[in-house]
Amino acid sequence: MLTQSIAAIPKVITDDPERFEELVREHQAMVFSMACRYLRNRALAEEIAQDVFLQLYRKLPSLESQDHVVHWLRWVTAHRLIDHSRHEKRRPQSPLEEAPEPAVPANSGDPLLSDMLRDLVAALPENARVVMILRYQEDLDPMDIAQALDMPIATVKSHLQRSLALLRDKLSRQKGVGL
Amino acid sequence: MNLEDELRAALRREDPSSGFAQRVVARTKVTPRSNRPIFRMAWAAAIAAMVIVGLAGVYQYRQVQAERAGRDAVIALRIAADKLNIARDKVSRREN
Repeated sequence: MLTQSIAAIPKVITDDPERFEELVREHQAMVFSMACRYLRNRALAEEIAQDVFLQLYRKLPSLESQDHVVHWLRWVTAHRLIDHSRHEKRRPQSPLEEAPEPAVPANSGDPLLSDMLRDLVAALPENARVVMILRYQEDLDPMDIAQALDMPIATVKSHLQRSLALLRDKLSRQKGVGL
Repeated sequence: MNLEDELRAALRREDPSSGFAQRVVARTKVTPRSNRPIFRMAWAAAIAAMVIVGLAGVYQYRQVQAERAGRDAVIALRIAADKLNIARDKVSRREN
């Protein structure tokens, strides 16, 4: 099993390109999806995800376990995304609606509603956006999010409550959807 | 319909385009891993060597300066002693 084989000896992976590739494959969906949901731009998300994994490649010898790798990836991806959007704020941006987004196979829920929710989440302030992505993409509880982002748990809960209220409000105004 | 369930569905994970992992690995081959412990140790050793060489240079310079000051002091004392001898000879000649 891949997870078991690389869990114990992450230090060896950096000298073995094939095993590092396996490690990337194992975590690529997490890192890429965080970036994609945050940025709503697949090309940019892939670029940032690649940078995160390159950083992981350099950092890997000092990471001690598979859990450490996952925690580190979440932390670095989240901060990289926040830094990126703060940097981008200083430059003129194209409207959110113009961002390319692929057709995502709908395995549950309403695809139009899902698309609207992704837009609304992507329009949240930086910290709230990352908190929402970790909560609903990664299914982390508030305590884990607080640890992952080095943020007080009260702040995490406050972001979640405010963001959910904001989304409910916007959904009911835009589409008359009551959730 | 529950907002949290809808959010989980909307924000579920998805894979990047195919070949993503290979592209990352290809980039690792052109990116030097300067953070490897061996490189960090080499950098630390180089910096330590430079500091030691610098300190040795300063110490050497001060030693040379001190030796020169010592020699100058000895010469000054000898000159002063010679002048005192001359003065003492003149005084003793007058008394005689």
